[in-house]
Amino acid sequence: MSHTPLSRRDLLKLAGTAGAAAAAAPASVVPAEAQRRPSRPAREPLRALTAHEADLLDRIAELLVPSDELGPGATEAMAVRYIDRALSGALADQRDAYRIGLEALERYARQTRGAPFLQLTETRQVSLLIDIESGTATGANVGFIGSSAQFFALMRGHVMQGTFGDPHYGGNAGFVGWELLGYPGVRTVVTPAEQKLLSPPTAVRRSAYDNPMFNKAIVDQKPAGSDRDAD
Amino acid sequence: MASVVIAVTTGGMAAAQAPATLEVTSPTLTAGQPVPRQHTADGENISPAIRWRGAPPSTRSFALVCDDPDVPMPGGFVHWVVYNIPGTASGLPENLPIDPEASMPPAIAGTVQGLSGFKRPIYRGPAPPPGKPHHYHFTVYALDVTGLPPGLTRAQLVEAMQGHIVGQGELVALYERKPPPPPGN
Repeated sequence: MSHTPLSRRDLLKLAGTAGAAAAAAPASVVPAEAQRRPSRPAREPLRALTAHEADLLDRIAELLVPSDELGPGATEAMAVRYIDRALSGALADQRDAYRIGLEALERYARQTRGAPFLQLTETRQVSLLIDIESGTATGANVGFIGSSAQFFALMRGHVMQGTFGDPHYGGNAGFVGWELLGYPGVRTVVTPAEQKLLSPPTAVRRSAYDNPMFNKAIVDQKPAGSDRDAD
Repeated sequence: MASVVIAVTTGGMAAAQAPATLEVTSPTLTAGQPVPRQHTADGENISPAIRWRGAPPSTRSFALVCDDPDVPMPGGFVHWVVYNIPGTASGLPENLPIDPEASMPPAIAGTVQGLSGFKRPIYRGPAPPPGKPHHYHFTVYALDVTGLPPGLTRAQLVEAMQGHIVGQGELVALYERKPPPPPGN
Protein backbone atom coordinates (compact mmCIF):
# COMPACT_ATOMS: atom_id res chain seq x y z
CA MET A 1 0.00 0.00 0.00
CA SER A 2 1.20 3.50 -0.74
CA HIS A 3 1.11 6.23 1.84
CA THR A 4 1.72 9.35 -0.21
CA PRO A 5 1.73 12.43 1.99
CA LEU A 6 -0.87 14.98 1.07
CA SER A 7 -0.47 18.64 0.40
CA ARG A 8 0.52 21.44 2.72
CA ARG A 9 -3.08 21.97 3.66
CA ASP A 10 -3.76 18.30 3.50
CA LEU A 11 -6.96 16.39 3.56
CA LEU A 12 -6.92 15.78 7.27
CA LYS A 13 -6.43 19.40 8.12
CA LEU A 14 -9.21 20.21 5.76
CA ALA A 15 -11.46 17.75 7.51
CA GLY A 16 -11.20 19.96 10.59
CA THR A 17 -14.63 21.31 11.27
CA ALA A 18 -16.29 18.54 9.35
CA GLY A 19 -14.61 15.88 11.45
CA ALA A 20 -16.01 17.31 14.62
CA ALA A 21 -19.44 17.42 13.14
CA ALA A 22 -19.23 13.81 12.06
CA ALA A 23 -19.31 12.48 15.58
CA ALA A 24 -22.42 14.37 16.55
CA ALA A 25 -24.43 15.23 13.47
CA PRO A 26 -26.57 12.95 11.32
CA ALA A 27 -24.64 11.85 8.26
CA SER A 28 -27.10 13.45 5.90
CA VAL A 29 -26.46 16.93 7.26
CA VAL A 30 -24.27 18.97 4.97
CA PRO A 31 -21.80 20.82 7.20
CA ALA A 32 -21.50 24.56 7.13
CA GLU A 33 -18.20 24.36 5.25
CA ALA A 34 -20.20 24.35 2.04
CA GLN A 35 -20.84 28.02 2.71
CA ARG A 36 -17.09 28.72 2.85
CA ARG A 37 -16.39 27.36 -0.57
CA PRO A 38 -14.68 29.79 -2.90
CA SER A 39 -16.52 31.43 -5.75
CA ARG A 40 -15.40 29.52 -8.79
CA PRO A 41 -13.94 31.38 -11.72
CA ALA A 42 -15.99 30.94 -14.89
CA ARG A 43 -15.03 27.72 -16.60
CA GLU A 44 -13.57 27.98 -20.07
CA PRO A 45 -14.65 25.54 -22.79
CA LEU A 46 -13.14 22.17 -21.97
CA ARG A 47 -10.62 20.61 -24.32
CA ALA A 48 -10.29 17.07 -22.96
CA LEU A 49 -12.35 16.51 -19.83
CA THR A 50 -16.10 16.09 -19.72
CA ALA A 51 -18.04 18.58 -17.63
CA HIS A 52 -18.63 15.98 -14.93
CA GLU A 53 -14.99 14.99 -14.83
CA ALA A 54 -14.06 18.65 -14.48
CA ASP A 55 -16.59 19.06 -11.67
CA LEU A 56 -15.08 16.11 -9.82
CA LEU A 57 -11.55 17.37 -10.28
CA ASP A 58 -12.56 20.88 -9.24
CA ARG A 59 -13.84 19.55 -5.93
CA ILE A 60 -10.86 17.26 -5.35
CA ALA A 61 -8.44 20.11 -6.13
CA GLU A 62 -10.34 22.33 -3.72
CA LEU A 63 -9.98 19.72 -0.99
CA LEU A 64 -6.26 19.32 -1.66
CA VAL A 65 -5.40 23.01 -1.76
CA PRO A 66 -8.35 24.82 -0.21
CA SER A 67 -8.97 28.50 -0.04
CA ASP A 68 -8.47 29.42 3.58
CA GLU A 69 -6.94 32.00 5.87
CA LEU A 70 -3.62 31.54 4.07
CA GLY A 71 -5.05 32.66 0.78
CA PRO A 72 -6.68 31.40 -2.41
CA GLY A 73 -6.27 27.77 -3.37
CA ALA A 74 -6.44 25.44 -6.33
CA THR A 75 -9.88 26.66 -7.36
CA GLU A 76 -8.74 30.24 -7.86
CA ALA A 77 -5.52 29.00 -9.44
CA MET A 78 -7.67 27.14 -12.00
CA ALA A 79 -5.68 23.99 -11.49
CA VAL A 80 -8.27 21.99 -13.40
CA ARG A 81 -7.87 24.25 -16.44
CA TYR A 82 -4.22 23.25 -16.36
CA ILE A 83 -5.12 19.54 -16.20
CA ASP A 84 -7.65 19.89 -19.01
CA ARG A 85 -5.17 21.66 -21.27
CA ALA A 86 -2.40 19.20 -20.43
CA LEU A 87 -4.64 16.21 -21.21
CA SER A 88 -5.47 17.71 -24.58
CA GLY A 89 -1.79 18.20 -25.36
CA ALA A 90 1.44 17.17 -23.74
CA LEU A 91 -0.22 14.70 -21.33
CA ALA A 92 -2.75 13.27 -23.78
CA ASP A 93 -1.44 9.79 -23.08
CA GLN A 94 -2.87 10.09 -19.56
CA ARG A 95 -6.39 10.97 -20.67
CA ASP A 96 -7.60 7.39 -20.25
CA ALA A 97 -6.10 7.18 -16.77
CA TYR A 98 -8.36 10.06 -15.75
CA ARG A 99 -11.43 8.61 -17.42
CA ILE A 100 -10.95 5.22 -15.80
CA GLY A 101 -9.85 6.63 -12.44
CA LEU A 102 -12.71 9.09 -12.10
CA GLU A 103 -15.26 6.46 -13.13
CA ALA A 104 -13.83 4.18 -10.45
CA LEU A 105 -13.93 6.99 -7.90
CA GLU A 106 -17.62 7.61 -8.63
CA ARG A 107 -18.37 3.90 -8.46
CA TYR A 108 -16.53 3.69 -5.14
CA ALA A 109 -18.51 6.65 -3.77
CA ARG A 110 -21.84 5.06 -4.68
CA GLN A 111 -20.82 1.59 -3.50
CA THR A 112 -19.33 2.61 -0.15
CA ARG A 113 -21.08 5.89 0.74
CA GLY A 114 -24.34 5.46 -1.16
CA ALA A 115 -24.20 8.61 -3.27
CA PRO A 116 -22.18 10.28 -6.04
CA PHE A 117 -18.99 11.92 -4.81
CA LEU A 118 -20.24 15.48 -5.24
CA GLN A 119 -23.33 14.77 -3.14
CA LEU A 120 -21.36 13.52 -0.14
CA THR A 121 -20.64 15.68 2.87
CA GLU A 122 -17.14 17.06 3.09
CA THR A 123 -16.26 14.58 5.83
CA ARG A 124 -17.29 11.69 3.64
CA GLN A 125 -15.49 13.11 0.61
CA VAL A 126 -12.29 13.40 2.64
CA SER A 127 -12.71 9.92 4.10
CA LEU A 128 -13.21 8.49 0.62
CA LEU A 129 -10.16 10.27 -0.77
CA ILE A 130 -8.06 8.94 2.10
CA ASP A 131 -9.11 5.42 1.11
CA ILE A 132 -8.16 6.12 -2.48
CA GLU A 133 -4.88 7.74 -1.48
CA SER A 134 -3.94 4.84 0.82
CA GLY A 135 -4.72 2.26 -1.84
CA THR A 136 -7.36 0.51 0.26
CA ALA A 137 -10.04 1.38 -2.28
CA THR A 138 -8.33 -0.86 -4.81
CA GLY A 139 -9.72 -4.10 -3.40
CA ALA A 140 -13.29 -2.84 -3.55
CA ASN A 141 -13.26 -3.94 -7.19
CA VAL A 142 -14.69 -0.70 -8.53
CA GLY A 143 -12.40 -0.46 -11.52
CA PHE A 144 -9.17 1.16 -10.48
CA ILE A 145 -6.32 0.05 -12.72
CA GLY A 146 -3.44 -1.01 -10.50
CA SER A 147 -3.70 0.69 -7.12
CA SER A 148 -6.11 3.50 -6.37
CA ALA A 149 -3.08 5.14 -4.78
CA GLN A 150 -1.51 5.51 -8.21
CA PHE A 151 -4.51 7.40 -9.49
CA PHE A 152 -4.56 9.61 -6.41
CA ALA A 153 -0.87 10.40 -6.85
CA LEU A 154 -1.52 11.29 -10.50
CA MET A 155 -4.31 13.71 -9.58
CA ARG A 156 -2.42 15.18 -6.68
CA GLY A 157 0.68 15.78 -8.75
CA HIS A 158 -1.28 17.52 -11.46
CA VAL A 159 -3.23 19.64 -8.97
CA MET A 160 0.08 20.79 -7.50
CA GLN A 161 1.44 21.56 -10.96
CA GLY A 162 -1.73 23.42 -11.85
CA THR A 163 -1.65 25.44 -8.65
CA PHE A 164 2.02 26.29 -8.43
CA GLY A 165 3.39 25.88 -11.97
CA ASP A 166 4.04 28.52 -14.55
CA PRO A 167 0.80 30.18 -15.70
CA HIS A 168 1.86 29.53 -19.28
CA TYR A 169 0.37 26.05 -18.87
CA GLY A 170 -3.08 27.24 -17.83
CA GLY A 171 -2.91 27.02 -14.05
CA ASN A 172 -1.66 29.31 -11.30
CA ALA A 173 -4.15 31.92 -12.48
CA GLY A 174 -3.40 35.35 -11.10
CA PHE A 175 -0.16 33.88 -9.71
CA VAL A 176 -2.05 32.79 -6.62
CA GLY A 177 0.17 29.73 -6.25
CA TRP A 178 3.34 31.80 -6.27
CA GLU A 179 1.81 34.26 -3.83
CA LEU A 180 0.93 31.36 -1.57
CA LEU A 181 4.49 30.08 -1.62
CA GLY A 182 6.09 33.51 -1.42
CA TYR A 183 7.89 32.70 -4.65
CA PRO A 184 9.11 35.92 -6.26
CA GLY A 185 8.83 34.58 -9.80
CA VAL A 186 11.35 34.30 -12.59
CA ARG A 187 13.77 37.19 -12.31
CA THR A 188 16.30 38.08 -14.96
CA VAL A 189 17.70 40.99 -12.99
CA VAL A 190 18.78 40.86 -9.38
CA THR A 191 19.83 44.10 -7.78
CA PRO A 192 22.98 44.41 -5.67
CA ALA A 193 20.84 44.91 -2.59
CA GLU A 194 18.91 41.74 -3.33
CA GLN A 195 22.15 39.84 -3.85
CA LYS A 196 23.27 40.91 -0.40
CA LEU A 197 19.86 39.95 0.99
CA LEU A 198 19.41 43.50 2.13
CA SER A 199 15.95 43.74 0.70
CA PRO A 200 13.24 41.24 -0.08
CA PRO A 201 13.17 40.18 -3.73
CA THR A 202 10.88 42.12 -5.97
CA ALA A 203 8.06 39.89 -7.10
CA VAL A 204 7.90 39.39 -10.84
CA ARG A 205 4.42 38.33 -11.78
CA ARG A 206 4.69 37.11 -15.32
CA SER A 207 5.20 33.75 -16.96
CA ALA A 208 8.78 32.80 -17.74
CA TYR A 209 7.66 32.46 -21.33
CA ASP A 210 6.58 36.05 -21.53
CA ASN A 211 10.27 36.77 -21.47
CA PRO A 212 11.82 36.65 -24.95
CA MET A 213 14.83 34.67 -23.73
CA PHE A 214 12.53 31.80 -22.63
CA ASN A 215 10.51 31.47 -25.80
CA LYS A 216 8.23 28.43 -25.58
CA ALA A 217 6.56 28.78 -28.96
CA ILE A 218 8.62 26.07 -30.66
CA VAL A 219 7.87 23.48 -28.00
CA ASP A 220 4.17 24.30 -28.03
CA GLN A 221 4.03 23.48 -31.73
CA LYS A 222 5.19 19.90 -31.24
CA PRO A 223 2.46 17.35 -31.90
CA ALA A 224 0.96 15.44 -29.00
CA GLY A 225 2.91 12.30 -28.21
CA SER A 226 6.24 13.71 -29.32
CA ASP A 227 9.10 13.86 -26.89
CA ARG A 228 8.53 16.35 -24.14
CA ASP A 229 11.19 18.69 -22.94
CA ALA A 230 12.43 18.38 -19.43
CA ASP A 231 10.61 21.26 -17.82
CA MET B 1 16.58 6.46 50.53
CA ALA B 2 14.14 4.01 52.06
CA SER B 3 11.23 5.91 50.59
CA VAL B 4 12.79 5.68 47.14
CA VAL B 5 13.10 1.93 47.44
CA ILE B 6 9.49 1.64 48.54
CA ALA B 7 8.36 3.84 45.66
CA VAL B 8 10.21 1.77 43.10
CA THR B 9 8.84 -1.45 44.55
CA THR B 10 5.30 -0.12 44.51
CA GLY B 11 5.74 1.16 41.00
CA GLY B 12 6.74 -2.29 39.85
CA MET B 13 3.70 -3.94 41.37
CA ALA B 14 1.47 -3.32 38.40
CA ALA B 15 3.91 -4.99 36.07
CA ALA B 16 4.44 -7.94 38.41
CA GLN B 17 0.75 -8.68 38.87
CA ALA B 18 -1.28 -10.27 36.14
CA PRO B 19 -3.56 -7.66 34.56
CA ALA B 20 -7.27 -7.97 35.19
CA THR B 21 -9.28 -9.37 32.32
CA LEU B 22 -11.49 -6.82 30.58
CA GLU B 23 -14.63 -7.88 28.79
CA VAL B 24 -14.64 -6.14 25.41
CA THR B 25 -17.83 -5.94 23.35
CA SER B 26 -19.32 -3.84 20.57
CA PRO B 27 -22.84 -3.07 19.37
CA THR B 28 -21.78 -3.89 15.81
CA LEU B 29 -18.82 -6.27 16.08
CA THR B 30 -19.20 -9.90 17.11
CA ALA B 31 -16.25 -12.06 18.09
CA GLY B 32 -15.33 -14.46 15.32
CA GLN B 33 -17.79 -12.88 12.87
CA PRO B 34 -17.19 -10.62 9.88
CA VAL B 35 -16.63 -6.91 10.52
CA PRO B 36 -19.69 -5.05 9.16
CA ARG B 37 -18.97 -3.19 5.94
CA GLN B 38 -19.47 0.26 7.45
CA HIS B 39 -16.28 -0.28 9.43
CA THR B 40 -14.23 -1.35 6.39
CA ALA B 41 -12.78 0.17 3.22
CA ASP B 42 -15.69 -1.48 1.39
CA GLY B 43 -18.05 0.80 3.29
CA GLU B 44 -17.96 4.17 4.99
CA ASN B 45 -14.90 3.18 6.97
CA ILE B 46 -16.11 4.65 10.25
CA SER B 47 -14.74 3.43 13.56
CA PRO B 48 -16.90 0.97 15.51
CA ALA B 49 -18.27 1.60 18.96
CA ILE B 50 -16.36 -0.42 21.55
CA ARG B 51 -17.41 -1.14 25.12
CA TRP B 52 -15.56 -2.68 28.03
CA ARG B 53 -16.01 -3.57 31.67
CA GLY B 54 -14.02 -5.19 34.44
CA ALA B 55 -11.35 -2.51 34.88
CA PRO B 56 -9.70 -2.47 38.31
CA PRO B 57 -10.04 0.56 40.62
CA SER B 58 -6.46 1.62 39.89
CA THR B 59 -7.38 2.41 36.28
CA ARG B 60 -6.63 6.01 35.33
CA SER B 61 -6.98 5.72 31.57
CA PHE B 62 -7.65 3.28 28.77
CA ALA B 63 -5.94 2.61 25.46
CA LEU B 64 -7.11 0.66 22.44
CA VAL B 65 -5.21 -0.86 19.53
CA CYS B 66 -6.72 -2.55 16.49
CA ASP B 67 -4.31 -4.61 14.45
CA ASP B 68 -4.26 -7.37 11.88
CA PRO B 69 -1.58 -9.97 12.63
CA ASP B 70 -2.31 -11.81 9.38
CA VAL B 71 -0.51 -9.16 7.34
CA PRO B 72 2.95 -10.56 6.64
CA MET B 73 4.93 -7.82 8.32
CA PRO B 74 6.51 -7.69 11.78
CA GLY B 75 3.77 -7.12 14.33
CA GLY B 76 1.08 -7.22 11.68
CA PHE B 77 -0.66 -4.09 10.41
CA VAL B 78 -2.01 -1.43 12.76
CA HIS B 79 -5.44 0.00 11.91
CA TRP B 80 -6.20 2.12 14.95
CA VAL B 81 -4.43 3.49 18.01
CA VAL B 82 -6.41 5.31 20.71
CA TYR B 83 -5.25 6.33 24.19
CA ASN B 84 -5.70 8.79 27.06
CA ILE B 85 -9.29 7.60 27.18
CA PRO B 86 -10.54 8.76 30.60
CA GLY B 87 -10.49 6.09 33.30
CA THR B 88 -14.17 6.81 33.88
CA ALA B 89 -15.11 5.78 30.35
CA SER B 90 -16.75 2.47 29.59
CA GLY B 91 -16.25 2.56 25.86
CA LEU B 92 -15.80 4.56 22.67
CA PRO B 93 -18.71 5.82 20.57
CA GLU B 94 -18.97 4.99 16.90
CA ASN B 95 -17.39 7.22 14.25
CA LEU B 96 -14.61 9.07 16.02
CA PRO B 97 -13.54 12.22 14.14
CA ILE B 98 -11.11 11.88 11.26
CA ASP B 99 -9.67 15.27 12.12
CA PRO B 100 -7.01 15.06 14.85
CA GLU B 101 -7.84 18.61 15.94
CA ALA B 102 -11.54 17.94 16.38
CA SER B 103 -12.94 17.65 19.89
CA MET B 104 -13.90 14.28 21.21
CA PRO B 105 -17.37 13.64 22.66
CA PRO B 106 -17.57 14.83 26.31
CA ALA B 107 -17.58 11.30 27.79
CA ILE B 108 -14.14 10.67 26.33
CA ALA B 109 -12.73 14.20 26.43
CA GLY B 110 -8.95 14.17 26.19
CA THR B 111 -8.86 10.98 24.14
CA VAL B 112 -6.11 10.96 21.52
CA GLN B 113 -5.80 8.91 18.35
CA GLY B 114 -2.26 7.78 17.60
CA LEU B 115 -0.65 6.93 14.29
CA SER B 116 -1.85 3.81 12.53
CA GLY B 117 -0.02 1.86 9.85
CA PHE B 118 -1.53 4.31 7.39
CA LYS B 119 0.52 7.03 9.11
CA ARG B 120 -2.63 8.90 10.03
CA PRO B 121 -4.14 9.49 13.47
CA ILE B 122 -7.50 8.08 12.52
CA TYR B 123 -9.33 4.79 12.18
CA ARG B 124 -9.02 3.00 8.86
CA GLY B 125 -10.72 -0.34 8.80
CA PRO B 126 -10.09 -3.69 7.21
CA ALA B 127 -8.96 -3.75 3.59
CA PRO B 128 -7.14 -7.07 3.26
CA PRO B 129 -5.96 -8.54 0.01
CA PRO B 130 -8.31 -11.28 -1.21
CA GLY B 131 -7.49 -14.85 -0.40
CA LYS B 132 -8.34 -15.62 3.21
CA PRO B 133 -10.08 -14.03 6.18
CA HIS B 134 -7.93 -11.72 8.28
CA HIS B 135 -8.29 -11.37 12.04
CA TYR B 136 -8.81 -7.92 13.54
CA HIS B 137 -7.86 -7.66 17.18
CA PHE B 138 -9.47 -4.80 19.09
CA THR B 139 -7.37 -4.84 22.26
CA VAL B 140 -8.28 -2.61 25.20
CA TYR B 141 -5.78 -1.80 27.94
CA ALA B 142 -6.59 -0.38 31.37
CA LEU B 143 -3.65 1.73 32.54
CA ASP B 144 -2.61 3.19 35.88
CA VAL B 145 -1.25 6.27 34.09
CA THR B 146 -2.73 8.98 31.90
CA GLY B 147 -1.54 11.99 29.94
CA LEU B 148 0.57 10.13 27.37
CA PRO B 149 2.02 12.40 24.67
CA PRO B 150 0.14 12.78 21.39
CA GLY B 151 1.25 11.25 18.12
CA LEU B 152 2.34 7.84 19.39
CA THR B 153 2.59 4.82 17.13
CA ARG B 154 1.59 1.42 18.44
CA ALA B 155 5.22 0.59 19.22
CA GLN B 156 5.65 3.84 21.15
CA LEU B 157 2.38 3.31 22.97
CA VAL B 158 3.39 -0.23 23.95
CA GLU B 159 6.65 1.13 25.30
CA ALA B 160 4.85 3.87 27.24
CA MET B 161 2.44 1.31 28.72
CA GLN B 162 5.22 -0.93 30.03
CA GLY B 163 4.59 -1.59 33.71
CA HIS B 164 1.31 0.31 33.68
CA ILE B 165 -1.16 -2.23 32.29
CA VAL B 166 -3.62 -3.15 35.04
CA GLY B 167 -6.26 -4.69 32.82
CA GLN B 168 -6.50 -6.07 29.29
CA GLY B 169 -9.03 -7.68 27.00
CA GLU B 170 -9.78 -8.04 23.32
CA LEU B 171 -12.45 -8.68 20.73
CA VAL B 172 -11.37 -10.44 17.54
CA ALA B 173 -13.47 -10.11 14.40
CA LEU B 174 -12.80 -11.23 10.83
CA TYR B 175 -12.90 -9.75 7.37
CA GLU B 176 -12.29 -11.13 3.92
CA ARG B 177 -12.36 -9.49 0.53
CA LYS B 178 -13.44 -11.24 -2.61
CA PRO B 179 -11.04 -11.49 -5.54
CA PRO B 180 -11.73 -9.22 -8.52
CA PRO B 181 -14.06 -10.66 -11.17
CA PRO B 182 -12.31 -12.18 -14.14
CA PRO B 183 -11.70 -9.80 -17.07
CA GLY B 184 -14.71 -9.38 -19.29
CA ASN B 185 -17.27 -9.89 -16.49
